[in-house]
Amino acid sequence: MRRLLLSIRDGRGFDIGLVSVPLAFLFAMAGLPLIYNIVMSFQEVDMFSLGTFARPFVGFRNYATLFSLPETWPILGNTAIFVVASIAGQFTIGFALALFFWTGFPGSSWLRGLFLVSWVMPGLVVGAIWNWILSGDFGVLNYILRESGLVSGNIFWRSDPDFSLWAVVIANIWLGISFNMILLSVGLSAIPQDLYEAAELDGANVMQRFYTITLPMMRSTIGAIIALGLIFTLQQFDLFAAITAGGPNNSSNVAQYWAWDMSFRQYDFAQGATISVIMIVFVMIASVVYVRSTRHEVRG
Amino acid sequence: MTMHQIELSGVNKYYGAYHALRDIDLKIRKGSFVALVGPSGCGKSTLLRSLAGLESISAGDLVIAGARMNGVPPRKRDLAMVFQSYALYPHMTVEENLTYSLRMRGVGKAEARRKAQEVAATTGLSNLLGRYPRELSGGQRQRVAMSRAIIRNPKAFLFDEPLSNLDAALRVHMRKEIRALHDRLGATSVYVTHDQIEAMTMADHVVVMRQGVIEQQGAPLELYDRPANQFVAGFIGSPAMNFVPAQVGADGRSVVLDLGTPHIVALTKSVEARRTLIVGIRPEHLQLASEMDTALRLPVGNVESTGAATYVTTATQPELIIVLNNRVSIRRGETLPLHLDPTHLHLFDKETQIRLV
Repeated sequence: MRRLLLSIRDGRGFDIGLVSVPLAFLFAMAGLPLIYNIVMSFQEVDMFSLGTFARPFVGFRNYATLFSLPETWPILGNTAIFVVASIAGQFTIGFALALFFWTGFPGSSWLRGLFLVSWVMPGLVVGAIWNWILSGDFGVLNYILRESGLVSGNIFWRSDPDFSLWAVVIANIWLGISFNMILLSVGLSAIPQDLYEAAELDGANVMQRFYTITLPMMRSTIGAIIALGLIFTLQQFDLFAAITAGGPNNSSNVAQYWAWDMSFRQYDFAQGATISVIMIVFVMIASVVYVRSTRHEVRG
Repeated sequence: MTMHQIELSGVNKYYGAYHALRDIDLKIRKGSFVALVGPSGCGKSTLLRSLAGLESISAGDLVIAGARMNGVPPRKRDLAMVFQSYALYPHMTVEENLTYSLRMRGVGKAEARRKAQEVAATTGLSNLLGRYPRELSGGQRQRVAMSRAIIRNPKAFLFDEPLSNLDAALRVHMRKEIRALHDRLGATSVYVTHDQIEAMTMADHVVVMRQGVIEQQGAPLELYDRPANQFVAGFIGSPAMNFVPAQVGADGRSVVLDLGTPHIVALTKSVEARRTLIVGIRPEHLQLASEMDTALRLPVGNVESTGAATYVTTATQPELIIVLNNRVSIRRGETLPLHLDPTHLHLFDKETQIRLV
């Protein structure tokens, strides 16, 4: 103990001291709830045992029950569609915008800053606004689609089971574009200009420069942003609460909303925890991708 | 007509109101090594980048190998450039860096690989082909940058201060290597540098620039022996030429140097009498004389010896630097008898700074 104190005083243990503070904080605020959640998914939990930690251990029974439910697979499928479609939309539009602003026309940096507005808006507010846009009878989106001749009748985005999930996807893409654009812009501006000049003299045209310089130089940024996108879409909750509430008949329900519904509306905390654990596995995979891609920074 | 690989006539370049290049006329012979030299901001890099097509010229004509290239994009000019930063592609191995231009042109994999090995063998990179740029030393990166240019067999090589990131010893070595490479390939090279020694030792033709203007161009020794103006005289040569304010004597055959005290020196040609001018004297043209036959006796200020040569600074106003190519025991405060060969005097107009006769 004395030696430990001494090592802090003489400076050698100071770094350990510094690191231990955030580590302790992380463990208390993130680690413990995580472990508690995992433990709970292996226990029988009801309203009366909620206050104690010592609850009957049931092994994988919660998991077995979960996968015997008829809505489980459709909801997991919805989650996959939601995640893939959201990331694909956010990334492609975000990258296109980042490239557009990167050309540096007058006022480009100013305009790019304006795009951040979508980012500072609370999810519930965004959801409320999109409710109006998506509204079946007087919504702007329907008006545009109808007037441009793309559809003949109104689409009831929020109440038609074929469209309800896509209603949330559209709103979520809008919400995520600015984040994708800003991060990709930073990645683009980090590419040294002389590489493009060298490539130009080496005979590469615009497309060749994009595929041989821009994309490979952006690899770590792209890896990071897709991993972060996966994490952010898996925790997207506000839009579901505001736009469809998972309905109609679970047609737009996803794992994260379902977990909340199970725990806090049906008070089936064990099932809610079980769904969360399944999601943790996916988030972990995303985290590994994120850490790996940010570690592989290339610059000679 | 096609004797000139690159021809610039009346080239001007503006950045907004800033006039970066003024009426540049330059003809570069096929197979010659041309150095663009000048202080920073003189426009030498802008001129090189204009040749490459990375900058557009505002007026004038640029002709490469007989074809007008004004609006042609860089990738269609068939010029190779070695950048100051090397600009190696960090995500590619040395081999991929070398073959990049070939792949962009659709050369087959096997053919590209064979060429890369061929070039690597001549530049000493054979066992580094699998490495990434970040795993190479500064000198090796420099070689990769050179090899990347060589493999293309371009119409001309453009060098943008390629040696400025290397240490002094390596720089001297690479100087010779680049020149040897140029001779072996029979290439046409344009080399930008702020180092006049590099320009003098490497080039066949030196172009001295200042504030967007070509002050003088010609063979290195021609510039050294007959600088067109005081700027070129001071820029070329190390240590720099001494400049002394002076007045021509009443007979027009001698000049009075104003070194705090007047000193009379004979002239070889007659100049308008009583005219005020600037006399330029190269440090090596002042040599020790025997006590008898000298007109110039100057007090010694500082003495530095490098072993091979002795640098003497005189205690005059302005002070003169003298390079003596032997060891002499001189002390501060002594008076030095000096011989000045009048054929080596450079005379410049005091106002225009232009060379007289």
